[in-house]
Amino acid sequence: MIQVTDIQKTYNDGKVQVQALRGIDLVIKEGEFTAIVGPSGSGKTTLLNIIGGLDSPNYGKVKIGNTDIAQLTENELIDFRLNHIGFVFQSYNLIPVLTAKENVEFLMLLQKKDDKERNERTTKLLVSVGLEDQINKKPNEMSGGQQQRVAVARALASKPDFVLADEPTANLDSTATANLLDIMLRLNQEENITFIFSTHDQRVIDRARRVITMEDGKILSDSMKQMTDK
Amino acid sequence: MIFKIAFKNIWRNKLRSWTVITAIALGIFGGLAVISTATGLSEMRQNNAIRTYVSHLQIHDSAYLKYGALDDTIAKEKDILKFIKKNSNTAGVSARLRIESFVQSAGGTSGILLNGINPTDEKRVTIISEMLQEGNFLEDFNRKPPILISQKLATKLNAKVKTTIQCSFTGAGGLPVTGVFKVVDIFSTSNSMYDEINAFVRIEDLRAMSQVYGSHEIAITLQDEEQVESFRDELIEHFPTHHIATWRGIAPELGYADKMMDLVMTIFLIIIMLALAFGIVNTMLMAVLERKKELGMLISVGMNKQKVFWMIVWESIFLALIAGPLGIAASFLAIQFFGRQGIDLSFAAEGLRSVGLDSIIYPKLNPVYYIVIGILVVITAIISCIYPAKKALELNPSETLRTA
Ligand SMILES: Nc1ncnc2c1ncn2[C@@H]1O[C@H](COP(=O)(O)OP(=O)(O)OP(=O)(O)O)[C@@H](O)[C@H]1O
Ligand SMILES: [Mg+2]
Repeated sequence: MIQVTDIQKTYNDGKVQVQALRGIDLVIKEGEFTAIVGPSGSGKTTLLNIIGGLDSPNYGKVKIGNTDIAQLTENELIDFRLNHIGFVFQSYNLIPVLTAKENVEFLMLLQKKDDKERNERTTKLLVSVGLEDQINKKPNEMSGGQQQRVAVARALASKPDFVLADEPTANLDSTATANLLDIMLRLNQEENITFIFSTHDQRVIDRARRVITMEDGKILSDSMKQMTDK
Repeated sequence: MIFKIAFKNIWRNKLRSWTVITAIALGIFGGLAVISTATGLSEMRQNNAIRTYVSHLQIHDSAYLKYGALDDTIAKEKDILKFIKKNSNTAGVSARLRIESFVQSAGGTSGILLNGINPTDEKRVTIISEMLQEGNFLEDFNRKPPILISQKLATKLNAKVKTTIQCSFTGAGGLPVTGVFKVVDIFSTSNSMYDEINAFVRIEDLRAMSQVYGSHEIAITLQDEEQVESFRDELIEHFPTHHIATWRGIAPELGYADKMMDLVMTIFLIIIMLALAFGIVNTMLMAVLERKKELGMLISVGMNKQKVFWMIVWESIFLALIAGPLGIAASFLAIQFFGRQGIDLSFAAEGLRSVGLDSIIYPKLNPVYYIVIGILVVITAIISCIYPAKKALELNPSETLRTA
């Protein structure tokens, strides 16, 4: 469970002060498939970064499970991210010198998982994102959609509590978007993986279970849909 | 894994990596080339000095060195010579009678040191006999006593072979002596300063003229240079009142030259390492700044900063590990080749001669230097990537990820 309490964030951009978040309260439970939507500049990325411990709020608290992430030291926080949070980025951000398989394996190596477990899980994940025939390709030999699927596999490799994805489909065409969403939804339903993602794309919004709409650093609405598409 | 990524990372920008690698290798090559040439020069200077005028050991009367008086000849000369000849390591021994003299010819005058020698003995000690124009080492002469003068002196006196010259000096009892010699050959060593003041005559001629029947100097060369010190100790034990010195004691400047070389080498090594450091700092800094976003991602997904730091460090170590052996191998081959072939510097022969050097230089390098350079290169690589690696640690993941 993720508990966000009264988060406020102000950026000090030289002389201009930007209030990116103005008091966000939010609870996200295990197994959710949540979209954060809102116009550009509404604070989606800022919120996701703060939940993911990549940025710190000026005020308020983020609790993940029983951990108040503000209490962690820098290295503890990095370790916490490694073991509890999966990240998917808009521009894939794979390690360019490694193959698909190595990219997925990477986090497990950081977690010091043994060979056997690593291999099994890597294969399983690459199969589940439909890339079993691409395992030895480098990122630049794959399409954007394929790279983003590798990124999803990588995010799941460390067995995180939840996956944060900031506009994961923004660089994908509609087929790749649908494909990626299928995969994310399946993982969510079959393996109960929590996804929190931001998006502008109506087709993505349509398939989310919960839609949090932001505007101007505040939550405008928060709606839970019925599980119709099962 | 970090190794692997680091190693792969250096090939992302092949041109840049090869540029740095080449620069490092060239730096090593240049440095080792200078050091080996300097070593070759210093060794040549040393050998030249030993083989032309210093020898391995010299024996004098203790007073002679202080006052240089004519009658301070070596006591028990016969015993000493016998003792030296008995030693199996002796390559040659030469007793010399040395008298300061004023020399005069039709063409000019000069002050010189007349060395009365036995040509057969002297040949075994020095290589003056090999540095003659005509190869007549005081052996072939007619009526007048023969003298060998240097090219330099010959020019000064406007003398040549067969010129008669007159030497005036003080003989035994303070009596003035004038000797007339005929130039039988002209020598020229690689040390023009030495040449300027030394001339050679037969010891028996000089003894007859000066009425001094001993010698002032016994010069010894050994077959094995390593035993110089121990042989000196042995001599001192037997002849404690004599002044017995090794080449290091006689010509300490040769040793100073070694120290100078050490200094020069150290300075060169520092320069090479600084150049190397700048190259690596620059490259790695570019590599870090160029990859901000990727590094930010690595930190975001859970790679801790120590690991990021070491990844950058390993990248520069790999660069150094590729460049180091290349530079060392190139230097090794070049030094081997020129060590055998020599580097011909005849165009500067005159200048070199004035400081006691030949015109062909054989570079030489103590193998230890290869190891030292290798280690220094790696250490420098590590030190110089610390700044770029620290830059990588300062990255703020959320900031770097925002910049698409
Ligand atoms: N590092 C920063 N310095 C200054 N202002 C910033 C910084 N990062 C974000 N902001 C500002 O904070 C506000 C919220 O930005 P944020 O990126 O969270 O919006 P967003 O909803 O993700 O927008 P988009 O849909 O365009 O991605 C914006 O006004 C933005 O300009
Ligand atoms: Mg955004």
